[in-house]
Amino acid sequence: MRALEPWVEAPLATFLAESSARLTLLMTSAGQVVAQHGFTRAFDVMSAAALGAAIMASTDELARLMEVPAFHALSHQGAHYGLFLSGFDTPRGRWIGLVVFGPESSLGLVQLFFQRMVADLVTVAPGPEPTGQVLGEDFEDELNASLRTLFGQ
Amino acid sequence: MSLVNFTAREITCKIVYYGPGRSGKTSNLQYIYSRVPEGRRGRMVSLATKGDRTLFFDFLPLELGTISGFATRFQLYTVPGQVYYNATRKLVLQGADGVVFVADSQARRFDDNLESLQNLQENLLGHGVDIRDLPIVYQYNKQDLPSDLILSPGELDDALNFRGVKSYGADCLSGNGVFETLRGISELVLKRLAAGSPVA
Repeated sequence: MRALEPWVEAPLATFLAESSARLTLLMTSAGQVVAQHGFTRAFDVMSAAALGAAIMASTDELARLMEVPAFHALSHQGAHYGLFLSGFDTPRGRWIGLVVFGPESSLGLVQLFFQRMVADLVTVAPGPEPTGQVLGEDFEDELNASLRTLFGQ
Repeated sequence: MSLVNFTAREITCKIVYYGPGRSGKTSNLQYIYSRVPEGRRGRMVSLATKGDRTLFFDFLPLELGTISGFATRFQLYTVPGQVYYNATRKLVLQGADGVVFVADSQARRFDDNLESLQNLQENLLGHGVDIRDLPIVYQYNKQDLPSDLILSPGELDDALNFRGVKSYGADCLSGNGVFETLRGISELVLKRLAAGSPVA
C-alpha cells in the first residue's frame, strides 16, 4: 500500500483487510493518484487513475444530461474479477475510489466497507493544505537536463 | 491542479494537448512515446474509434526525473478534436495544469483553429478557469507541408496568438518541434509551481 499522505493509510488498510480487495486506487476527480494498493508499476497506477476518473466524469455528465442526481457508484462484473468505482467528497475535494476484487470477496462486501472507509477518511481528513512555494527558482537547468535525457539529446 | 506530495517529494502535473481534429495532438504523444526510454514512460492509453480518431483521450505518463529534489511526473492527455465531442473534451480539461494548443498550419484549416481556440476558452471557463491564468503554449504543426498550403508561424501568431504566449513551429510526424513544445509547457507549468500557485 502507498498513500500520499499518512492520514489516508489507516482507513485504507482497514478497508483492504475487511474487503479482501485485490487492487485499490484512490484518486482526485482529475485522475491524480492519492493512494494505491496492489499495483506493481507506477505507470499502471497512473493509467488506471486516468481511466477511472474518465469513467466517473462521463457518468456524472450523463446524469447531468438526463437531469437526474449523480450516480455515486458503478460496478462491472467480469468472468473472474469485479470492478467497483465510486466518487465521494472529502475536505480535500472530490475523490474517486477504484476497487478490483476477486471471488474471495463480493460487490456487497466491497460496497459496505468502502462506505465505512469513506466515513473514516472524512473524519480524519485535515483541512485544505496551505499553498506555498514548491520548487526553487533555479529549477530550469534541472528541467532541461531531465528533458534532454528523456529525449536522448 | 498539480499534485504535490511533500512527504515523498513527488510532483504530478497534467498537461492537455488541445486543438482541432487532425491537427496532430495524438501524433505529438506518439512521437514522445517512441522517443522516450521505456523506463521513463508508461503505456500509451488511447481511447479511439476504429478509424483511429480519438474518441475520449490519449494518455501518456512520463517520468521527468528529479527537479529541485522532487520526483516529477507529467501526465500528457489529448482531447478529441472533432466538434461534436465537446462533452468529452471538457471532461479531459478538468484539473489541467497546462495546455498545448496544437494548431493545423494549413491555410484552409484556419477557421477550425480559431473555433477550437474559442472552444478551449469556453470549456476552461466552464471549469472556472480563465485562459489568461493558465500556462499555455501554441504549436503550429504541419510546417513541413508546401509553403503555398500553409501559414507561417509568424502569420499564425498574428492571427491566433493574441496573448503573445510562446509558440513553436512543428512537424510532429518527423518530430520537429515536439521536444521544444514539451519543454516550453513544462517550464511554464513548473514556473507556476515555483511561484507558489495552488497545489493539491
